[in-house]
Amino acid sequence: MTSDIRVPEDLWEGDTEGVITAWLVDDGATVAQGDLIAEMMVEKAQYEIEAPVSGRLVIAKEEDEVVAKGAVIATVET
Amino acid sequence: MSASMETFELQRLTVETGLALEETLLESICQGESRFGLVAWSPTDRALVMPRRHERVAGFPEARRALSERGWPIRFRATGGTPVPQSPAVVNVALALRCQVGSSAAHLEWGYHRLGDPWCAWLAALGVRYVDLGSAPGAYCDGRFNVRIGGRKLVGTAQRWRRVRGSRDMAMLAHGAMQVGDTPEALVAVVNAYQATVGDPQRFAAGSHVALSQALPDLAPEAALPELLERLVATPHAHGVQPVTGDRGEARS
Repeated sequence: MTSDIRVPEDLWEGDTEGVITAWLVDDGATVAQGDLIAEMMVEKAQYEIEAPVSGRLVIAKEEDEVVAKGAVIATVET
Repeated sequence: MSASMETFELQRLTVETGLALEETLLESICQGESRFGLVAWSPTDRALVMPRRHERVAGFPEARRALSERGWPIRFRATGGTPVPQSPAVVNVALALRCQVGSSAAHLEWGYHRLGDPWCAWLAALGVRYVDLGSAPGAYCDGRFNVRIGGRKLVGTAQRWRRVRGSRDMAMLAHGAMQVGDTPEALVAVVNAYQATVGDPQRFAAGSHVALSQALPDLAPEAALPELLERLVATPHAHGVQPVTGDRGEARS
């Protein structure tokens, strides 16, 4: 089973895109629910992203990639 | 040099200590130790401060060396944006609070208004005209929520959001850096020197910035600052995000 990690839909108004500024764990690493795994930036705000469940992280969007609201940036395989 | 979150007075700190104080402030919210906090500090030294992702830019090591030789060592901050000079001519104010996130709330915009609206009101009360929030094209680290005077950037703003431990609540840190002294030309020159060294063709314009000393030549910033901090504490919450009831008069709106 896989769980998507998405950019929050309600973090900001309008259609401004954000960018993944850092992955704090490697692709394929095992993460625990609540682990801080990535940071994204939009509107000069850094937003920390946590693992929603425990499992193996599969990164879908690389550092410096532009992301829109709701975009899947990674999945966690449980 | 010690830093404190127990006082709302302006603290004189090194850039490194000031940035660490802001991180401590945010972390105190995340750990559930407090629900609201505010710090104000002004550097005793100089640095060009930027998010850590700039470390990946080609030419960064050379730029770091060159800026350090000019007396502007590079340091990293936790909020977003692009390079900003920090010096004794800058006053920083950071507020952090715990928020209950609603499904329809526009959090970032709310955070910028929570910091910027009282700042604008403070300036207006001091007699400054044409104050608002907005972008300042040509300014370094431009954003949509600078505090502007006549369209020129006085205060740059940025945020960091982090989840409160063991909770669905979020902790928000909103930061403002206000140029109170020196000339815009002097600070813009530092950022442009960085741009040149990393090979980025973008250059910034001093005319897009303004210092408080230009708008209010007779003002003693340190004497006027407590009124700004009081306004930031007293401002009621609005715009959809529900702050969590806590210290210092924070109440559910």
